[in-house]
Amino acid sequence: MEGRIIVITSGKGGVGKTTATASIGTALAMEGRRVAVVDMDIGLRNLDVMMGLENRIVFNIVDAVHGRCQLRQAAIRDRRIKNLFLIPASQSDNKNVLTPEDMIRFCKKLRSAFDFVLMDCPAGIEQGFENTVAGADDAIVICTPEVASVRDADRVIGLLYARSITPRLVINRIIPDMVENGDMLSHDDVLDVLSIDLIGLVQMDDRVIVATNTGTPLILQKDSAAGEAFQRIAKRLNGQYDLPIIVPIPSKSIWKTIGTRFGIRK
Amino acid sequence: MINGIFRKLMKSGGKSGSKNVAKQRLKFALIYDRLEVSDDTLNNLNRDVIEVISRYFEIDKEAFKLDIQRYDDVSALVVNTPIIATKHKNKLNL
Ligand SMILES: Nc1ncnc2c1ncn2[C@@H]1O[C@H](COP(=O)(O)OP(=O)(O)OP(=O)(O)O)[C@@H](O)[C@H]1O
Ligand SMILES: [Mg+2]
Repeated sequence: MEGRIIVITSGKGGVGKTTATASIGTALAMEGRRVAVVDMDIGLRNLDVMMGLENRIVFNIVDAVHGRCQLRQAAIRDRRIKNLFLIPASQSDNKNVLTPEDMIRFCKKLRSAFDFVLMDCPAGIEQGFENTVAGADDAIVICTPEVASVRDADRVIGLLYARSITPRLVINRIIPDMVENGDMLSHDDVLDVLSIDLIGLVQMDDRVIVATNTGTPLILQKDSAAGEAFQRIAKRLNGQYDLPIIVPIPSKSIWKTIGTRFGIRK
Repeated sequence: MINGIFRKLMKSGGKSGSKNVAKQRLKFALIYDRLEVSDDTLNNLNRDVIEVISRYFEIDKEAFKLDIQRYDDVSALVVNTPIIATKHKNKLNL
């Protein structure tokens, strides 16, 4: 069976595309699928560090697309997680070394080699975006509950529809206490203004930073609310379409409050 | 506790918190964004409209003007063209 190529994009920078690509990719591999995560941020690679694979890069996507190496040589196998591969960006080129036509051809190869290919799109809607969406089957748009981010998401959603791709939305970096106090847009507020279906809600979580510090997958961190949310997104992509979307809840449940009082909260 | 109840009351008022401001601003920003027309679109439209009108009228293509005008909350497409002559009916190549 042919694999699916899913673009992770946002328009605005710094909203969690790379975090989402690494986490959803890892979770899909743990579901037993053969997965490649591809860093499309040519010239500013990032996904390798997020995945803790930065010391194992020999070839990169530009080498593979231009035929300087085989696909399997550019795909770095993750030694901790079975069936997970990273295709890194090149750090020395700029974004126009690749063209949309190159990518359409390359995506055909990727589809026959993997069940899921997640592409980490660079911020913006220029050449890097064009290259990334050229060969894609599906898209996940990431935004945070902030005006600028939702607005850019709207723009990107429009561009994806224009290419006959129906994207789904992840809202990341939700702070439930602020939502409850009326100081942060809720997911309903965001969905009110965007014409898109939701595929996951991810809350702000310190564990994300711990995971990036050490280069260990967020999914393997104990008690990570964000990690669990990404895992559920992966399950939905993998066919569990009716797995409910959990709305992050404020931290001041009674037990946690007591825990904090007595200083026993970890 | 009292604090919590107070906050709940404030919330049910619906106006507290900065997110209402955020949502309002977001709505307006999106309305404006969606009304915006790119130069490309405008140029293509310009070309097509001249083509269609030229089937019926002889017009001064140099003086032809097509504009998007915006008022407070409506946006209008305004076409302005001097007509030199009406084309004769049976010469219309439709
Ligand atoms: N749920 C979260 N909780 C806490 N921090 C997060 C969360 N998601 C992302 N971050 C942090 O936000 C920052 C930006 O994340 P990330 O690099 O994934 O964004 P990006 O969209 O890939 O950025 P860029 O546009 O620069 O490629 C990082 O420091 C990351 O650790
Ligand atoms: Mg990134």
